[in-house]
Amino acid sequence: MFNYTLRRLLMVLPTLLILVIFAFYLMRLAPGGPFTSERPLPPAVMANVLERYGMDEPLHVQLWTYVSNILCCFDFGPSFSQKDRTVNDVIAQGFPVTLTYGFWSAVFVLVLGIPLGIIAALRHNGFWDYTMTGLAIFSQIFPNFVLAPLLVLLFTLSWGLLPGGGWNGGQWEYVVMPAIALGTSYMASVARLTRGSMLEVLNSPYIRTARAKGLPERTIIIRHALKPALLPTLTYMGPVFVYMITGSVFVDVFFSTGGIGQDFINGAYSRDYAILLGLAILYAVLTFALTLMVDLLYAWIDPKVRAGLS
Amino acid sequence: MLSVENLHIRFRTGDGLVHAVNDVSFEVSAGQQIAVVGESGSGKSQIALAIMGLLAKNAEVEGRILWNGDDLLTKSNREMNRIRAREIGIIFQDPMSSLNPYMTIERQLTEIVENHEGLSRRDARARALQVMDAVRIPDAKSRLRAYPHEFSGGMRQRIVIAMALMCQPKLILADEPTTALDVTVQAQIMQLLADVQRDFGTSVMLITHDLGVVAGFCEEVVVLYGGRIMEEAGTEALFDQPAHPYTRGLLRAVPNIDDPSDALTAIPGSPPNQHRFPQSCPFAPRCVDAVDTCRDTLPILQQGRACLRPVEELT
Repeated sequence: MFNYTLRRLLMVLPTLLILVIFAFYLMRLAPGGPFTSERPLPPAVMANVLERYGMDEPLHVQLWTYVSNILCCFDFGPSFSQKDRTVNDVIAQGFPVTLTYGFWSAVFVLVLGIPLGIIAALRHNGFWDYTMTGLAIFSQIFPNFVLAPLLVLLFTLSWGLLPGGGWNGGQWEYVVMPAIALGTSYMASVARLTRGSMLEVLNSPYIRTARAKGLPERTIIIRHALKPALLPTLTYMGPVFVYMITGSVFVDVFFSTGGIGQDFINGAYSRDYAILLGLAILYAVLTFALTLMVDLLYAWIDPKVRAGLS
Repeated sequence: MLSVENLHIRFRTGDGLVHAVNDVSFEVSAGQQIAVVGESGSGKSQIALAIMGLLAKNAEVEGRILWNGDDLLTKSNREMNRIRAREIGIIFQDPMSSLNPYMTIERQLTEIVENHEGLSRRDARARALQVMDAVRIPDAKSRLRAYPHEFSGGMRQRIVIAMALMCQPKLILADEPTTALDVTVQAQIMQLLADVQRDFGTSVMLITHDLGVVAGFCEEVVVLYGGRIMEEAGTEALFDQPAHPYTRGLLRAVPNIDDPSDALTAIPGSPPNQHRFPQSCPFAPRCVDAVDTCRDTLPILQQGRACLRPVEELT
């Protein structure tokens, strides 16, 4: 298991390098650049600006400078569009925000989605099953850009319970609505996924064996059925968790939370190569970490996988 | 000890009722081995599940299943939980899928006696070791911590048998215990069941489609066809003088080692449609001895056979 983890970690750097090279050239292929605007800059000014950001050099030299700065000094360069801020500054300010509401959103998804799915499976084709499934479908067809205004309408404008936006250092009142708006449709997916896999597990021969042992129903569910029933949810949650903690553009914009979701979109509009590359690397690292965690959890649950790893 | 009386099992399905078991009655007395024989779809496994109270939710059951005088069909799930594994154990067909792949063998064995007898983990482990020895799993102590996938098919079936033996039940239902195994392992498992039966004094109800397995093991045979009992007899009598055309057909389909020239004969046709409750002999369409009355009268079980033709006239 230790060897496996080490092997996976060793693969991170080369993979990241490939990702950076691809992203670097791909961005430059897109028309326009960070300093193009409707009124073109005078050529002399343009040359100055390009030189200031090192963009007068050939592409492969720029790439080399970029990568070596990261490797030697963890320096992801200055932002092209936000004056006097480095990429490190932007991430250091925005990532804690999305990490906070993304984390609570994931908690909301799991704490609500898994029990709902299990209850629906246990009451298969009963009242609760239909209620849960109906609710799940209902929240799945509610995209966050419909749900968020609805939440604000109710909790801020009608009842005055929660602030309609802002961040304020991540006080809980400011986290609730972004987390719910971001998580609801995932919660519904998790509920349906858990319900489906739980139903499948409950119909499996080894659960019939457990029943034939005369075990109480609670023991059968918790000891025999829960672990295997959660495997699909676990697989699903890995990438979704990355998506959540890196924030959603819509949530950042709508609630003015100031997370990196917003930075990413702004970066794309203004061709801010530095921000885009920096965030792409952040996403990649997080995805690596989370998939590795999911795989290790898988091994912890499934002895066959564990045997395959060592 | 166990008395099944006029058992009917029907399933509500998308295209109507399926009559899986019709008017089946038999008894198992203490220490007895009885075989329930039939092809797939004859309802034999459903009888075992009905005894355990584990039928699918869409099943309708009628009749009585008396266990020491108590009707199991009237018991709640909680009441049945006191009988399952403790008084009646079951061995399922496929040891590959009937063990929980996510739990150690130890836990799957010990939880049975922890639950039924309130044993401590340590005592439960001692019992598990004892039973694993009884089913001849080598090196039991070191294998307790292993998971099902680390065992071969035959070893897994031994573990399933060990599970059935943990509480030393009075009756074990063995539902095709050797069907999923290699031929070489089948004989070992049957021998093991016979030994277990002798050593523990357990009654065994063996469910099988294989008459060859029955011969060496059981005293009594119940032959099922289309969910009905066709013939019921002592094993020797059944093999020497089968009194029902279906039983005769089954026996002709078993290879005879003494006479290799003897060609095997298949029973023509396929098992009956069970969507309608039979109004005539269910075997008549495939029966070589069928006459007109067979096709419009339902035979009843008399003197151990459900056939409208006299024994002497059968081919």
